[in-house]
Amino acid sequence: MAPTENDIAIVGFAQTAPDRRTQLTEADLVLHATRAVIADVGIDKSEIGFTVSGSCDYLSGQAFSFVQNTDAYGMVPAINESHVEMDGAWALYEAFVRLLQGDIDVAMAVGVGKNSNSDPSTLFTIEFDPYYLTPLGTDTWSLAALQARALLESGKATERDFAEVVVRNRANAKSNPYAQVSGDFSIDELLAADYVRNPLRLHDLPPTTDQAAAIILARGKRAYDLCDRPAWITGIDHRIEAHLPTVRKDITTSVSTRLAAEGAGAGKGPIEVAEVHAPFGFQELIVAESLGLDASTEINPSGGALASHAVMVAGIIRIGEAANQITKNGKNRTLAHATSGPCLQQNLVCVMEGDQ
Amino acid sequence: MADTVQEFVFNLTFPFTRTLGSTLSTFSSALAQGQIIGVRTGGRVIAPPLEYDPDTSADSGTDWVRVGPKGTVSTWTWVPEPTNLHPLDHAFGFAFITLDGADTPMIHLVDAGSESAMSAGMRVEAKFKAPGDCVGRIDDIIAFVPAADPSLSEGAGEPFEAPEENDITEMDSYCDLTYVDNASPTTTMWAKALMEGRLIGQKCPQCERTIVGPRGMCSVCAIELDESHVIDVADRGVVSNFTIVTPVQYHGQTETEPFVRCSIMLDGANAVIAQQEILDIPASEVHVGMHVECVWAPVGERSVEDIDNRSRGSGGDAIIGWRLTGEPDEPAELYLDRMM
Repeated sequence: MAPTENDIAIVGFAQTAPDRRTQLTEADLVLHATRAVIADVGIDKSEIGFTVSGSCDYLSGQAFSFVQNTDAYGMVPAINESHVEMDGAWALYEAFVRLLQGDIDVAMAVGVGKNSNSDPSTLFTIEFDPYYLTPLGTDTWSLAALQARALLESGKATERDFAEVVVRNRANAKSNPYAQVSGDFSIDELLAADYVRNPLRLHDLPPTTDQAAAIILARGKRAYDLCDRPAWITGIDHRIEAHLPTVRKDITTSVSTRLAAEGAGAGKGPIEVAEVHAPFGFQELIVAESLGLDASTEINPSGGALASHAVMVAGIIRIGEAANQITKNGKNRTLAHATSGPCLQQNLVCVMEGDQ
Repeated sequence: MADTVQEFVFNLTFPFTRTLGSTLSTFSSALAQGQIIGVRTGGRVIAPPLEYDPDTSADSGTDWVRVGPKGTVSTWTWVPEPTNLHPLDHAFGFAFITLDGADTPMIHLVDAGSESAMSAGMRVEAKFKAPGDCVGRIDDIIAFVPAADPSLSEGAGEPFEAPEENDITEMDSYCDLTYVDNASPTTTMWAKALMEGRLIGQKCPQCERTIVGPRGMCSVCAIELDESHVIDVADRGVVSNFTIVTPVQYHGQTETEPFVRCSIMLDGANAVIAQQEILDIPASEVHVGMHVECVWAPVGERSVEDIDNRSRGSGGDAIIGWRLTGEPDEPAELYLDRMM
């Protein structure tokens, strides 16, 4: 495709090595990720017209924690900066929209999360409805398990299917240098483990990870200065459903994923590779079905979110991995998905294409 | 770098009083009386009620409906090891429970004794706290328990007449989270130097600025700095900015009188040490341009227990404060426009 000045591409992606427990601060992680992507693209930081990050104060236990993280950008003279209390995938969405204004050519999106400071079985209770759920200590594992059980009861999947997702992702993760969890496992071996939240076992849960990732986007012809084969974003959309999972009509499917995929034009051509953000392994089944993917699409060659899962980062990594398939691996059309909120409440879909 | 990594445990604890609005006030006031209600909107009964129809965002209105106390489980899970935030201290289930008379489920606990007692389709009924203990919060229902009699709840689906005014319009909620952070390499360096009565910084090889309190990076150039960039900085300098704080007696505040916190530009450095206390003079006499020097706590009395990643650049209990050196003031104009 010949890019117009309104076409926007991903031209660089970097992530830090995922760590179960880093000694570094979030600002350190941001510095390492942004330095790496700036070096990869080969620009000076002064050429970045807009920087936006996604992170979460509750993960670090500090109000306005993202302000400290901005140390890593080098802000003299002052830069144009923004922040979302969301996964970096939504920061990337904001960068995309910002570039569409047409007055800047290059933007950077960042996701960072030092997840090891807190306990995921308690922290995310405060993410939920404060009147009807938080007083019950309703935790993110339990809510995912309720969704998983509903999927079993619907007859659409079995516990073997859940384990198969984990086996496949962990095997894929062996070739991902940025995997925290990888290896060869058998379905029977996984099914022999105890439940953490019936019907979910430990391997069905997201790993706890400290990590950062950064993506550089460029507009129009500028993309070719920074990347031999840019990953042009041909569609990006995100949709949200009701916060209380109980008022959604059917939690065994994801309406918001389907609508986001339609909005991003996912069905306009074959998808060679899809990077799906499924914090809990079984959710990959729901997302893949809602995206309308079939057996011709390779899902999660990176190992997906089961390979590493820093909350606030795992989504933007999906976009980076799917972009890499075009920029570095010769694929022509890929899709990335990111999720947020209880039981796949909010979903983002980004479709990318390379020049042919 | 220290051989062992120091960990900091801190609690994030804060009480909230949430106002409930008309819909939740009606629900809570009824719940405190042992009656669960839903609201009929868009052709279905949502229980517990929401202010809006989640499909259309229309006002749900006030067509209240009695629901429960019995209901049917549609999906469930089991919590074998409860956390401090769960209401029960023994293993229990969470479930989607569609109460009799309702069309949408609610999430609540099921105290079923064992995982094997749980199933989709099981009939359960609400077990309330003693009437005197009910405050109109969702955990007034201790849990649902297997229903002794699976027949439909009496009166479920019938209209509920809300009182003119609700008894309960607010709800206490409480956040209690524990974090375990670990000292970053630069925090460890800073704390170690304080114990030795030294202030250190990192000098950027690119812009040659010295930042007090190593951060592992130059926040101007955005490059990584390491131990080779660490230098000693003077423990004397000039007040570059200050504020007088009139203490509000929030939980944990130990100050009772107005006090000064100032920023000090250390001699030879390019960034301030902030939030410092000036000794011996009244708050009203503190001004920009004063020369001050550090007053260290005696060696045996220094402590850096409070120095964590969130308080980098703080002197902890190693620095008592700063006192005037008696040198003539510097012109305040030299320090205008300086934030850091």
